[in-house]
Amino acid sequence: MALDLDAEQLDRYSRHIIMDDVGPEGQAALLDSSVLVVGAGGLGAPVLQYLAAAGVGHIGIADDDVVELSNLQRQVIHGNDDVGRPKVDSAEEFIAALNPDVDVDTYETRVTQDNAESLIEGYDVIVDASDNFPTRFLLNDACMLADKPLSHGAVYKFEGQATTLTGGPCYRCLFPEAPPEGTIPNCAEAGVLGVLPGTIGAIQATEVIKLILDEGDTLEGRLLAYDAGGMSFDFVPIAPNPECPVCGDQPHIDSVTEGEYAGACTLGD
Amino acid sequence: MTVTVELAGEGSHEVDAAGKTYADLLAPFDVSKHEVSVLVDGRPVPEDQAVDSDVERVEVVRLIQGG
Repeated sequence: MALDLDAEQLDRYSRHIIMDDVGPEGQAALLDSSVLVVGAGGLGAPVLQYLAAAGVGHIGIADDDVVELSNLQRQVIHGNDDVGRPKVDSAEEFIAALNPDVDVDTYETRVTQDNAESLIEGYDVIVDASDNFPTRFLLNDACMLADKPLSHGAVYKFEGQATTLTGGPCYRCLFPEAPPEGTIPNCAEAGVLGVLPGTIGAIQATEVIKLILDEGDTLEGRLLAYDAGGMSFDFVPIAPNPECPVCGDQPHIDSVTEGEYAGACTLGD
Repeated sequence: MTVTVELAGEGSHEVDAAGKTYADLLAPFDVSKHEVSVLVDGRPVPEDQAVDSDVERVEVVRLIQGG
């Protein structure tokens, strides 16, 4: 770990460095760390913003969408002039302007069964800021199999959820299978309060930074459920499920390259 | 036989669970069994299964995909 922070870094990160729980060692750990953020939309925007500001040294961004005008109500790293551009390009420019310490790799692609393992391979922590069940189940399985910590976040109208998955319990311990296709609306269909992904994304970024620093208590083993309407935070305990197909006692998912992640997100026998 | 049913982030109801399934416990909420996971002691239970007599509390978590 490189502790030789230069004068500009000592100034930029001074509010971290003076903290006993971070200090120069913690800041150096952040600068040496790598995080893959899947999705540069509502959740990905605040995650990228805060990870870059904190000095996470290597950030990967995976997203195959372009910026749309209807995104700008919540996706705060993109601007009016970015409409029509790939989100990964807009996000990369935002980070470059915010913090030159951060190296960015962009992947203008959807995360698929064919590329999931190789995408996550080089990163310390993965962030699920995606917007669909196939990607969520795929990332869960790939991260559990590769022993990579995964920060999960999701938003719907006034409601947000976040948890941190570090090897079990996992997302499938809570939701063994996705619901039948079409039964759950997405943000485009149901709407989402513009500031809501800011709250949940900031919580995800907090979790990632704590994992890198090895400080504090994460959301491992509990799901945070936030109701912006009632301004309440609930915590739901999640127990490891012995019957979980990916992290249970007799798991039958041992690869993400086979099976089916569309629709109900179950793997074939 | 009364069970406390809490939908995370949306409040709780006391439900008479005698002779009912876990899916029946969702009646006070505006959700279908396809939209949620029903948890007992932090683990999902089959929604078409009868409520166990020793269960006093059930947590319900909505499946959300938006990001």
